[in-house]
Amino acid sequence: MKARTPSAQVLTAVLCIAAASFALWPLATLDEAWPEGIRDYLESRGQDESGARNLVSAIYLGYRGYDTLGETIVLLVAVSGAIGMIGAAGSKLAPGYADAAQGQVPVAKPTRRVHRRTELIDVVTGKLGPVVLVFGLYVMLFGHVSPGGGFQGGVVVASGIVFLGMGSKGAGLSPLVGAGTLARIEAAGFLALLLAAGLGIVSGAGFFAPPLRGVSPVGYIVALNAVIGLKVGAGIGFLCIAMLGETER
Amino acid sequence: MTEAMLLAILLLSLYAVESKDLLYGTIALSGVSLLSSLLFYILKAPDVAITEAAVGAGVSTVVYVWAIKSMERNEPL
Repeated sequence: MKARTPSAQVLTAVLCIAAASFALWPLATLDEAWPEGIRDYLESRGQDESGARNLVSAIYLGYRGYDTLGETIVLLVAVSGAIGMIGAAGSKLAPGYADAAQGQVPVAKPTRRVHRRTELIDVVTGKLGPVVLVFGLYVMLFGHVSPGGGFQGGVVVASGIVFLGMGSKGAGLSPLVGAGTLARIEAAGFLALLLAAGLGIVSGAGFFAPPLRGVSPVGYIVALNAVIGLKVGAGIGFLCIAMLGETER
Repeated sequence: MTEAMLLAILLLSLYAVESKDLLYGTIALSGVSLLSSLLFYILKAPDVAITEAAVGAGVSTVVYVWAIKSMERNEPL
């Protein structure tokens, strides 16, 4: 790449600031008040109607189920696309993960010991992995009362899975890190999410509505959080473990 | 406190842009994410803070480091 001259750098910076100002100018000079109706409604009734103490969870699972479904689909497509592109580009995936990408993908040979990391990382990540997993499950299952929820907990679970993958050297590989297990969890999570969303139709409450009337809908939010968390965790964990490749065992 | 953290985020971002070694830049970006997640927590958005810490400082760093590892490193160190 050609080295940039200082004047070109200054020009780039000025252009960036000008573009950002142009985009933000209407917001700064807006005369109309911000829409307050929905905000006040959610603030005053959101917790009672959904039963969730955490208003963020109440909104994205109680009122905005469609958005959540869309986000999980985006994540699924992103993970599939990334794995497919990595495979097509000829990079090495971890053993077992190449099945996910169609065609001939070079697979890293499982070697016994690769001296790329110190023992420290192996030991620490292996011991820390289960702790992070438990914390992720907590964030996931208690998203309705404390900060967190399916997506947040799912990403923490994915970090725990990556830790397990990094820390399990040689033959002591945790079965949770296997490609088949993660792919199955992901698929089952998505199926369960669709089923949970459709239950409301059968009972006459509507798509993404709590199926049981008269019962506090908070149980429905907990179930959705758990399903979404498992799905997100398995998906992102799958991507990261596949990319760790040859160094991981 | 907030201003100091914003300033640190700005400095780390500039370093990430300007650093010659991509790995150093990635670590700086990870620091940016960590500081932003602390900032989110101070500004009373703990949900966003958890996501930022896990995705920004954790998963995206893994992805970047993997990408750098897969490249040939011919930058002057």
